[in-house]
Amino acid sequence: MKISLTINGVQREVDVEERTLLADLLRDQFALTGTHLGCDTSQCGCCTVHLDGEAVKSCTMLAVQAEGCSVLTIEGLAQSYALSDGEGMSKELRRDREAVWKDQAGSSSAAGPPAFEVHPVQAAFAACHGLQCGFCTPGMIMASTDLLRRHPDPSDEQILEGLAGNLCRCTGYVNIVKAVKQAAAQMRESQTAGSSR
Amino acid sequence: MNAAISMRQPQSADFRFPEGIEPARQEDLRLVTGTGRYAADWIYPGMLHAYVIRSQVAHALIRKADYSAVREAPGVVAVLTASDVAEAGFASLPNAVTNKARDGSPQKQALMPVLASDKVLFAGQPIAMVIASTARAAQDAAELAVLDFEELPAVATVGDALADGAPQLHPEVAGNLSLRFEAGDSEAVEKAFAAARFVSKLRVESQRLIPSPMEPRAVVAIHDSHTQKTRLHAPNQGMVGMLNYLVAITKWPAESIEVLAQDVGGSFGIRSGAFSEHVLVMLAARKLAKPVRWVGSRSEVFLSDFHGRALALEGSIAMDEQGRFLAIRFDDEVDLGAYNCYFSTHIGTRNLSITMGGVYKVPALAMTSDLVFTNTVPISAYRGAGRPDIAYAIERLVDHAAHEHGFDPVALRRLNFISRDAFPYTTANGTVYDSGDFDKVLDRALALSDYAGFRARQQTSAAQGKLRGIGLAFYLEASGPGGAPKDQVEARFSADGHMTVYAVTGASGQGHETSFAQIIESELGWPATRVRYRAGDPAHQLIGNSTGGSRTLYGAGSAVKAMCAALLAKLKPHAARKLGLAEDAITFENAAFHSDTKHSALAGPLRVESLIDEMMAAGLANELEVIGEATSGSTFPNGCHCAEVEIDPDTGVTQLLNYVAVDDLGKVISPQLVQGQVHGGVVQGWGQAFCEHAIYDPGSAQLLSGSYMDYAMPRAGCVSSIHNDTINVPTSLNLLGSKGVGESGCSGSLPALANAVIAALRPLGVSSMDMPFTPPKVWAAIRQSDHGA
Amino acid sequence: MYAFRYQRPSSVEAALELASADEEAKYLAGGMTLIPALKHRLASPSRLIDIARIPSLRVCERIGAGAGAVWRLGAALRHVEVAQHAGLAGDLPALTHLAAGIGDPQVRARGTIGGSVANNDPAADYPSALLALGAVVMTDRRRMPAADFFQGMFSTALEEREMIVAIEFPLPRRAAYAKFPHPATGYAMAGVFVAEHQDGNWRVAVTGVGAGVFRWEAAEAAIAAGDPVPSLERDDLMEDMHAPGTYRAHLASVMLAKARSQLSIGV
Repeated sequence: MKISLTINGVQREVDVEERTLLADLLRDQFALTGTHLGCDTSQCGCCTVHLDGEAVKSCTMLAVQAEGCSVLTIEGLAQSYALSDGEGMSKELRRDREAVWKDQAGSSSAAGPPAFEVHPVQAAFAACHGLQCGFCTPGMIMASTDLLRRHPDPSDEQILEGLAGNLCRCTGYVNIVKAVKQAAAQMRESQTAGSSR
Repeated sequence: MNAAISMRQPQSADFRFPEGIEPARQEDLRLVTGTGRYAADWIYPGMLHAYVIRSQVAHALIRKADYSAVREAPGVVAVLTASDVAEAGFASLPNAVTNKARDGSPQKQALMPVLASDKVLFAGQPIAMVIASTARAAQDAAELAVLDFEELPAVATVGDALADGAPQLHPEVAGNLSLRFEAGDSEAVEKAFAAARFVSKLRVESQRLIPSPMEPRAVVAIHDSHTQKTRLHAPNQGMVGMLNYLVAITKWPAESIEVLAQDVGGSFGIRSGAFSEHVLVMLAARKLAKPVRWVGSRSEVFLSDFHGRALALEGSIAMDEQGRFLAIRFDDEVDLGAYNCYFSTHIGTRNLSITMGGVYKVPALAMTSDLVFTNTVPISAYRGAGRPDIAYAIERLVDHAAHEHGFDPVALRRLNFISRDAFPYTTANGTVYDSGDFDKVLDRALALSDYAGFRARQQTSAAQGKLRGIGLAFYLEASGPGGAPKDQVEARFSADGHMTVYAVTGASGQGHETSFAQIIESELGWPATRVRYRAGDPAHQLIGNSTGGSRTLYGAGSAVKAMCAALLAKLKPHAARKLGLAEDAITFENAAFHSDTKHSALAGPLRVESLIDEMMAAGLANELEVIGEATSGSTFPNGCHCAEVEIDPDTGVTQLLNYVAVDDLGKVISPQLVQGQVHGGVVQGWGQAFCEHAIYDPGSAQLLSGSYMDYAMPRAGCVSSIHNDTINVPTSLNLLGSKGVGESGCSGSLPALANAVIAALRPLGVSSMDMPFTPPKVWAAIRQSDHGA
Repeated sequence: MYAFRYQRPSSVEAALELASADEEAKYLAGGMTLIPALKHRLASPSRLIDIARIPSLRVCERIGAGAGAVWRLGAALRHVEVAQHAGLAGDLPALTHLAAGIGDPQVRARGTIGGSVANNDPAADYPSALLALGAVVMTDRRRMPAADFFQGMFSTALEEREMIVAIEFPLPRRAAYAKFPHPATGYAMAGVFVAEHQDGNWRVAVTGVGAGVFRWEAAEAAIAAGDPVPSLERDDLMEDMHAPGTYRAHLASVMLAKARSQLSIGV
């Protein structure tokens, strides 16, 4: 059946089988392979994306359930953060950046648009060595950004509760928690420093 | 499924880090932006999809296998069965390591066939592969297979497999005993026990685990009919090693196979070898002239990835009046699973024997281990591969002996340490430890854990009705000796100004790209950001070891260091020319060539980076191609871990209050990465200690904990902080002076955590318990103890 | 998954009509239970009727005032919505606390109270709240007290095509919920909901321990009399590879004590 939904800021019309999972739609039809499949009992969280701003497990949703909704994947996170800064970005730059996603089959400029700066949570994970093999990382980052939306100054308990749906086998979680705290502090700082983010 | 919209896959170049952010590793940019490429992320047009038909029963004869309905089903292109495998001339999955019995007789081996033909020996064993236009069509079609099994009695435990009248898994292996391995001097040990003042005995189990790297195994094969080469994307620990195993099974010429993995979602030892699915998709890709992909589901890889551990170790120790160790003896039982696969023999033999005395002076050592087949998933190497198990058994035994005979557990250890002046030290069974300072490591661990202040903290807990315990453990392990004759790396410079380092060993999270770049930067001053790392590139025929056995940093890293020296040798004449001096008038120091005369053509030192840039600009990059090599055997990382726990007797829940890890890793190249490895290893140890267990039903030999619904994994918060420290006791066993770290977290954590839990419960009269120390188990032990409610 | 048709009607009436036309149809709300079952091919409905967005199923309102008020929660309310509902948290914090502890954040963003109640997993949290509070299950055709609704594990009084539309919770004097989570699933290994009703009666409902949620009458009587609570005795204690029945029974006592200690702080 035909459905329409927004993926990483771009409206898409797709024809999907009813039984297609949202995760499979993203991976197979949109080549957004950053959303990973790590289990089949909805427990590992590797497939976490944002649906209308909330973290959900895309392996436990049908694509058709997301009709009319806005889906944000790890690949769109940096862009969505960049574009959430209403001021300080020229129309041309904004249009150029949006073009990368609009027309994934061919970018508007030969050199490609300028690289998006990553989201503070992504940066913190890298700085704090909060990832090793990286397989759980996209889902972990999507869960973390959602947790920080709900708790911008999270207690340890709130962080652990926010990550309760995500498994990691490599890091032992210690540096992941550190990364979330660092990102939270940095995001609060740029809020108070007057940035509209 | 509809044809994919032709979408451009996002690339890491679409993103950048903000100013001021230093990623810990170069690979992090692509991994945090979801632009890494794991096996299931390779997309090829026209790709076919595979689904594996597996045995639902643990032990049976296959009376009938009829796939005609499968072949007719919509979308199905082919069905591969054992007869296709036989026609292709494939061999079985390799048993990479064998060993001999004491009398020299060889191990009785039973190798796993790529596909079962007349019988199945474990639930989950692959029987056929269906290939169709979509994964769903393949799975739908698979349900139409008509399979008739004549079920046979099954055994799921070593005890049951060895019992009289047990069903025999392999006709050529009487009593299901693949090997009885012996090491050491049992006569000397017996004499020592006879003369001993104190004797203690403790049997511990290191339970079967599901290694569970987060990336479920997936493979993609694509055959190029022009070059006659088949490319395989598969998670692995070294593409050359994987290639060798693929060649061993398929018997195809090595030049006709290419293994390519960009990112690997964890491995921990179980993915260095090729599985049935690997060679089957390769066969299918050649036969069908189309790319073929198989992606395992998590519950499927629970049954098709190798399992880990599954050992029972019975240790006895003999001591004199003062508590000096006179002898240690181990009698072990090793569950192999249904077949000999890859490294299970190694786990059950050499890796248990070479460091069976731990860090102690023990005049007499002996062990036996029985390697036994059961109707379960085959075992292979999982983080430590026997070394955490023996470290666990030794340290539990020492604690047990201390308490049984009234010795202080710290003092008893110190008394028996190999002293720092005694190195190199040859153990009673012939292992040579090169270096160590166990007293220093222990002192640091005691200080960091505030061991001395424990009693007061214990009383505070007791006042709140909680049981507090502190446990420490000293581990020592032999890191992998490396099967390859040497490790080689090669450097080339490219037009875009990067140095590319080619090597054999592949990463699955360890940070190879970064560590080697750090060595290069520190040796030459060539910035780490200008180094790229390529593992297993077939255009570069290099000798070397895959990742495994915690030896990559010092093994391949030493080759990197040698490569830097070789590069300097090539640069020297050019530097001399530039400085206008003879070669013997210039020296290299601090990333630059210096002259000590006034006749230098340049005002200051000539930086290596500038010189290389100039040479590249002048088109001389190819003069700088260089290979470095080094031969590095085992090293002996060791350490002391200390855990402090608090048990709630009401629920049996154990909370970890403090964890200290002091490790002697020799020279540390990348402290942050080392810390990450220790964290990961410690938490995997926590998982084994408190919640993980692959449980089989003893009657049917079905895996009961078949998914994450029943196999409990550690989650965030289980270990909230780890105090790491490293002591560098240098080793001269490799150019870097480094010892391996990858597996030490497990070796230290299992016994430290266990000793802490037992210590907390000992006042109640509980003297022993096996992992996992789940809340119900701890609660029951408390209830049944002398002081239980 | 096997193939099925999918429809998203915009009213309860339309949903019922679709269901009556197709015997093998199933309602889909959050899908946190149904979709994993479909993925494992444990169910093969011909049609999924998505009711998650039907407005009348998403109400969350207090009806009436004072002690006699009830809170009506629409069946398609997501756990996160219940957990964060300020008005509900003021009147019935034990319920919002329970919702906040279901699964993990991603599950709470999708799973619904109606789905949980209709499924009646013997280790689910909500059934214990319904039973202890004396909630009423409102379906498209009738109202049922919780005690009649829950009929044993995975079994309810729902008839063919019957749909839960809302659950009405009367307000207790005080209530609390404490749960010991299962190490792998996060469901309750023992979850105890205790409520002191307006009429002074105590209700204690236990989940995760037996073959379905149950009232622990001996504990209710003991609390009412001010006596120590006896240990839990039951024939149907849940036993599995994770814990024997005796442990779960013991946990029930521990969780009851924990819940009671939370009563006095108004949680």
